[in-house]
Amino acid sequence: MSDFGVDVPEAEGGAHAAYGRAVRRDRGFRVVKATLAYLVLAVFAVMAVGPFLYLLSPSFRQSYELFSYPPEWIPKSLYWGNFSTILHETSYLRWGLNTLVFATSVTLITLAIDTMAGYAFARLRFPGRTSLFVLVLATLMIPTAVLIAPLYIMVSRLPGWTHAGVNTYLGMILPMVASPLGVFMMRQFMSTLPEALVEAARLDGASEWQIFRKIVLPLMKPAIVVLGIFTFMFQWVNFLWPLVITTTDDMKTLTVGVASLQGQFVTNWGVISAAAVMTMLPVIIIFLIFQRWFVQASMAGALKQ
Amino acid sequence: MADILIKHLVKRFGKVEAVSDVSLKIEDGEFLVLLGPSGCGKSTILRMVAGLEDATSGEIVIGDRLVNFVDPVKRNVAMVFQNYALYPHMTVYKNIAFPLSIAKRPKGEIEAAVSRAAGILALEELLERLPGELSGGQRQRVALARAIVREPQAFLMDEPLSNLDAQLRLQTRLELIQLHQRLGITTMYVTHDQVEAMTMGSRIAVMSEGVLQQVGTPQEVYRRPANVFVATFLGAPPMNLIHGALESTPGGWRFRGENVDVPLSTDVLSSPELQHEIEARGDVRFGLRPEHFRIDAAGEEGGIPGSVQFLEPVGSDLYLTVEAGGTSLQVRTDPDSTLQAGDNVTLHFDPWRVHVFGADGHNLRRDTAAIAVPGVPAPTV
Repeated sequence: MSDFGVDVPEAEGGAHAAYGRAVRRDRGFRVVKATLAYLVLAVFAVMAVGPFLYLLSPSFRQSYELFSYPPEWIPKSLYWGNFSTILHETSYLRWGLNTLVFATSVTLITLAIDTMAGYAFARLRFPGRTSLFVLVLATLMIPTAVLIAPLYIMVSRLPGWTHAGVNTYLGMILPMVASPLGVFMMRQFMSTLPEALVEAARLDGASEWQIFRKIVLPLMKPAIVVLGIFTFMFQWVNFLWPLVITTTDDMKTLTVGVASLQGQFVTNWGVISAAAVMTMLPVIIIFLIFQRWFVQASMAGALKQ
Repeated sequence: MADILIKHLVKRFGKVEAVSDVSLKIEDGEFLVLLGPSGCGKSTILRMVAGLEDATSGEIVIGDRLVNFVDPVKRNVAMVFQNYALYPHMTVYKNIAFPLSIAKRPKGEIEAAVSRAAGILALEELLERLPGELSGGQRQRVALARAIVREPQAFLMDEPLSNLDAQLRLQTRLELIQLHQRLGITTMYVTHDQVEAMTMGSRIAVMSEGVLQQVGTPQEVYRRPANVFVATFLGAPPMNLIHGALESTPGGWRFRGENVDVPLSTDVLSSPELQHEIEARGDVRFGLRPEHFRIDAAGEEGGIPGSVQFLEPVGSDLYLTVEAGGTSLQVRTDPDSTLQAGDNVTLHFDPWRVHVFGADGHNLRRDTAAIAVPGVPAPTV
């Protein structure tokens, strides 16, 4: 008898036993389910990490060790010569600088353009807004390969700028800025911000630019970081456009430079692997630093009222 | 401070007319409540006064200035939103200071204004917090402080209490009343909550489907509702309505409905023209508030016989649902009553409490038929 006048009947032995069986059966199901899930995940993990390990191993070995039989995965001793060859005998650092300039500039300009375009599509009312937005989305369907030739022609024949666009930073950067996917992402995220915030700022006397700069932009930080990292990572490993637009060794980006290490007759795979590992490292570090923002940004969309 | 004049205001969204020819004057320093169910156009009116929506036609005058084409900020009104609309990335101080810093006022002036507003709303301790760290009531006070700091000519409040829980709502309601008494700023307050409207408003403007139904003091709209909508929207439980007809007898007017046959006081319907109209129209509805019934034993002379169906004790009162000739009547009575479901009773009432609504829904009482609603033609009866 409890204080609130509720009678709790004593459980009987039979009921207890049945309950115990049910608990054990339920636990068994859960163990099987978890095992299956982990197995599937493990397969995917191997698929994702495998190539990376396959690359890591040769970068620490001499060329002649690479083709030994049976193949050795773990080197007996770490050989650092491949890294030193890259740093001293190729323009690797120059390529790294080029890539940094290229990827950073594209990222910054993309962020500026995409956030403003996203704001306009999400919050401003102007004639043709919907059709313009559909047009922006439609450009997503055009394969990059189709665009390479026209882009090259445009860049090489910019008015009063004959051939000047080829093999320059400007020519490399400009065609890559403003991604339709980024505009779409920014617009979707801004649509989730409460309209009342913008209206309150408008009543408080803020101009359209001030609303964007002081209210919307700070609240967009997670989405901006995500778009920034995506763009940076994508451009860091962008191969096709830098390959087409650069003509001299000192303008190459890392991907183009590393690819050029492959000789016609002899290829030092150890050196190429080491170069590839060094190229990946900055991206991985950046991702690790900012990964919590990815979670935040995806949560923000889910939880906003 | 200023008065607000709304003249023949219309707002259409596509084919939908959200606001139909509304005219209203809010006096300088008045606390006017726009009351109505969701989607009746009350918020739209407020947003048009604020400048967040353009009027399709009509005029909005604040002070002596026509503001239809004036930017929201230059109208010098401050709005408090239902979800507070605080800037989540700014501290309370920066939120309150925002309108002034946008206006590029000197730093000292901003500090003085913020600390004054924070003082009025007891926010001094919270100035360095972010909105996310505040309770609902505190956020609402910050929103009010941000409105006060601009020293606006008028406050526009869009259901500012509806996100608060019941107890906090009561407390904040009192704070708002005090604030209005203290600052005396013209206020337009939108709500669908009749208790807020009755307790806060110097006057209430009742709206339905974009049309202004009645404007008056809380007592006026409650005691002398202009039509069936106002009568049933105000009051919980709402006014009881009984269908029937008026008949002229040698002893005066009688209301005859199913199971109901009661004489009417001459105070209620006395003008000869009115009587003539009623005769021509026939069908009417007869309205009585739950608190105006007296419960007597079954079989008493006169009154409405019925049987108790449900009892709803709410602590301070007891509400009965009484079945009377096919109509369910809500009756308020003493919470100590010993009545049970199934008991037969007779309901009596003072004849002068009765409202009589014509076929078009207008109240035919002598003292309400004459109430002219701005923008709405007075009843012709």
